[in-house]
Amino acid sequence: MNQALTQLLRSFILKPANKDATDYFRGVVKAGEMSERVLTLTESVIRMNPAHYSAWQYRYRTLLAINAPLDEELELMDELAEKFLKNYQVWHHRRLLLQRGALAKTPAAELAFIARGLSYDAKNYHTWAYRQWILAYFNQDALWEGEMRYIENMLEDDVRNNSAWHHRFFVVFSNGVRKGDEDREDTIRREVSFTKEKIALAPNNASAWNYLRGVLEHSDTPFASLREFVLPYTVPAHSSLDDVRDDSVVDLENPRPSPGADLPCPAAIEFLADIHEAVGDLQLISFRQLWKSLADEHDTIRKRYWEHRISEAQASRDS
Amino acid sequence: MSFKHSSEDGYPTPTSTEQRRLEIILSQHRPPPDHPKPTLQKNVHMQWLVRNFSQGFPERFISQDASQPWLFFWTLQGFYFIGAELDPQNKQRCIDTIMACQHSDGGFGGGPGQFPHLLSTYAAVSALACVGRPGPGGGWDQIDRVKLYSFFMSLKQPDGSFLVSRDSEVDIRGIYCLLCAATLLDMLTPELVAGTASFVASLQTYEGGFASASHPYYIADPPSLETLADYPRPALGEAHGGYTFCALASWILLRPLLDKMELERVPEINVKNLTRWLALMQGSEIELGGFKGRTNKLVDVCYSWWVGGCFALLRSLGVGVRHTVPSQQQVDNEDDDEQWSDVDDDVFNRFAIQEYIFYAGQHTTGGLRDKPPKVADAYHTLYALSGLSTAQHYTAPSDEVRERLRKEWKQIHDDSLDEWRKVAYVEARAWKEEEAASMYINGPGDRLNAAHPVFNLTITHVGRIMSHFYKQNQS
Ligand SMILES: [Zn+2]
Repeated sequence: MNQALTQLLRSFILKPANKDATDYFRGVVKAGEMSERVLTLTESVIRMNPAHYSAWQYRYRTLLAINAPLDEELELMDELAEKFLKNYQVWHHRRLLLQRGALAKTPAAELAFIARGLSYDAKNYHTWAYRQWILAYFNQDALWEGEMRYIENMLEDDVRNNSAWHHRFFVVFSNGVRKGDEDREDTIRREVSFTKEKIALAPNNASAWNYLRGVLEHSDTPFASLREFVLPYTVPAHSSLDDVRDDSVVDLENPRPSPGADLPCPAAIEFLADIHEAVGDLQLISFRQLWKSLADEHDTIRKRYWEHRISEAQASRDS
Repeated sequence: MSFKHSSEDGYPTPTSTEQRRLEIILSQHRPPPDHPKPTLQKNVHMQWLVRNFSQGFPERFISQDASQPWLFFWTLQGFYFIGAELDPQNKQRCIDTIMACQHSDGGFGGGPGQFPHLLSTYAAVSALACVGRPGPGGGWDQIDRVKLYSFFMSLKQPDGSFLVSRDSEVDIRGIYCLLCAATLLDMLTPELVAGTASFVASLQTYEGGFASASHPYYIADPPSLETLADYPRPALGEAHGGYTFCALASWILLRPLLDKMELERVPEINVKNLTRWLALMQGSEIELGGFKGRTNKLVDVCYSWWVGGCFALLRSLGVGVRHTVPSQQQVDNEDDDEQWSDVDDDVFNRFAIQEYIFYAGQHTTGGLRDKPPKVADAYHTLYALSGLSTAQHYTAPSDEVRERLRKEWKQIHDDSLDEWRKVAYVEARAWKEEEAASMYINGPGDRLNAAHPVFNLTITHVGRIMSHFYKQNQS
């Protein structure tokens, strides 16, 4: 194999792409030129290769050095952002401009612009991170106010969009207390019942379960408080549990799985096992048995992980 | 045998529709029971790597902040996984091309004349760890470490994070890259990493994985360590496989140094939630056991390393560590003559991820890919090989190696930093592969060399470059 490698590599030459533009750019940098011309040049380098961070960097320095109007630059970025949605330099450059006070529009208009980006690519990491930065950096009540409505629309479109769920946690819990959310217990209640409803709609949705766990852990609420809610999700659709319940009675606190739900739901079994582990009550179905059912039947790909949970629980009980 | 599709619960959304579409494609890649199982096409991949290398930089790589040092790292490390060795002339050409990317202000850029960047600096140093050597023209001693250090410090933020480059963003990938380079080249100082571990810890989201950055709130301007608010500290972006690897690896590099720093509050991460999130990233049987990078996203071969590799890192935090038990206690273990036998406690499915890589990751004309029907590229080829390597081998910190390195430590500088350097050196080099715990789904014909879980270099290469820069015996 080594012989072959040596032979094949004989022709090894590295060919830089975009030779002309990059050579020209290099020359400009070497000469330290900062002018209108440099803006034209870097723009064309960026249009050819939006990941050319040196061109972005030099462009930014030039903008500042020649006192170029930053609002115009922001307009150019509107166009480039749509063209190179996946590229994070585009978003970062916007951020630099905004930090320098470029804001022909208000930050609210910036949120609307981002929303347009997310309508093409609803899970774009950099776009979401940029939205979160706008909110935290300007930190204006008016900006935060519209977010819950926006998130609800996003989840209406796709309840499995984890980026939207993360954004909800960001808005409700991660930046201190928002206006209108001062009553924390009320906020927790609201978030828990919102999530329960989304789980009922499509129970096998890891995003919703993770959010639920996040809310409970963040507020030190015992998982056990959701036992009633979780139980119907841990058993097959038409099981004995249904007999003891009257379906005509609608329990708003504990929405039941939708008719199309695929049950039992592994995330619910895991949740129930965690309740039992925390409570440590031996009268309950042993959490070990629940984990075992995940390992052997409902979530076999993670067999080793569920067995790991069993041995961890054993170890902490022994110690 | 047919496997169960992910549940749509009678409520399809764009996410579940896309998921279903991929599951149908992937299930067609599982070989029927009566067919021979695909094995690792080492020669085909090797030729693909060489071809790719020789032809230069295809346009499409440039779009993923790729640069020349990255192409070198991805290709060279790929060669070393497969077990190929470069001849001296080709090595020299690699060294010279990489060194041409070193900037006059310190650090490496994406190409000659490009500004220095943490990501290309990592790639350059890693590639030099593979093919460089001490002495004139060898690359190692031509790295300007004094300037590199001031380049690093010029990027440092009051909250302990780093920009990836001048006027650029904060990103945990950059911090991982900086810590790797600084650890390999004996450049870690308390000044350099002050506050960094707290920053890393702040990236963990409610899901358990880590985000790319977090937003520092300051009590008043101008931003400084004194005015930095402890709370709130929101993560920007959701938990993500690539960022989680970089955060965890950074944490593993910093953790042993924490008690050498005077800290008001020792930062912590939630290992239980992290382990859970990582385990949940593995796709089910119908997804051939590949890893996803985020909740409710599609599997992708590169997460075989970014997520799969985290399970090796977790061993240094005591999760999934093999323990030795007397074999008498093992009733069913007859073919073991040893008095003691090992019981491994993996928390991920080492078998299934190898299936994903073999069945879905390999492109018939060579190279490895994200998922079918995509084409292969250098990035996915390297991280698929890295992921395969980490699934095949059991690598963990070894007390025995740690003890030996401590004993053999030669004190070079007579200063307070000596103990600090020693800890960094010993901990980074304590990782050891246990050949007996290897697992190959088709037998050892598919064997790749083992990767160092933090650096993604061979353990030999890590030892070689570190012993040079720390002026220790290479043992
Ligand atoms: Zn990928």
